[in-house]
Amino acid sequence: MKCNCIETEPPVAVAASNVRLPMGLLGFERMKDYFLIANPEEEPFGWLKAKGDASIAFVVLNPFLIVPDYHPDIPQTDVEFLGLKSAEDAMVLNIVTVHKHGQATMNLKGPIVINRNTGVGKQVVIANGADYSVQHPLLVSEGAN
Amino acid sequence: MLILSRKTSESIVIDGRIHVKIVRVEGDVVKIGIEAPTDVPVHRQEVYEEIQRNNQQAAVRPTAPLPRLVTTKKPVVAPVFKGIKP
Repeated sequence: MKCNCIETEPPVAVAASNVRLPMGLLGFERMKDYFLIANPEEEPFGWLKAKGDASIAFVVLNPFLIVPDYHPDIPQTDVEFLGLKSAEDAMVLNIVTVHKHGQATMNLKGPIVINRNTGVGKQVVIANGADYSVQHPLLVSEGAN
Repeated sequence: MLILSRKTSESIVIDGRIHVKIVRVEGDVVKIGIEAPTDVPVHRQEVYEEIQRNNQQAAVRPTAPLPRLVTTKKPVVAPVFKGIKP
């Protein structure tokens, strides 16, 4: 049984980077520093884990793997806040909720947008949120792991 | 709750640094302009609460391994920013 708790540095086989969310996440405003962790065994999922509080951790996913034409309209104030000069500067990750019975959904209304160059991110309330669901279903494949 | 009446173009100041202005009233829709420091987030309440609730639900650690996903192999499209070339 793997331990997903991170108090100190993650094991070497797992890629981790530092992410700073100066505004925190909606409802978690006081937590601003996170590890973004990619464990190859859990691909394509990643984890956003709060530094210093192992109980605050979010499963995240690149939304374009599921919705290739996802077009979040990021407000100009957020583009400036994050210092984004081009679309390539931005990494977009969406929070995944794993429900009972293994169903999973993804929040497309509030993506986490991170500036790849600075590691600074924000949970953005997209201007075209009405086009998307806060619980977009993720298709789970049949068969054993 | 503090209740104030304002006419169009009148403003309210909160904590000496957040300004709320009534920009226009059209029927039962009020257009509100907000000036606040960049470290003060401002959201429509129902949208904020919906995302906050979803974050709280998502923060509960799953007890089982993560599911295997069906993903697409189609090419990735860059996010849309107003005023910035893709």
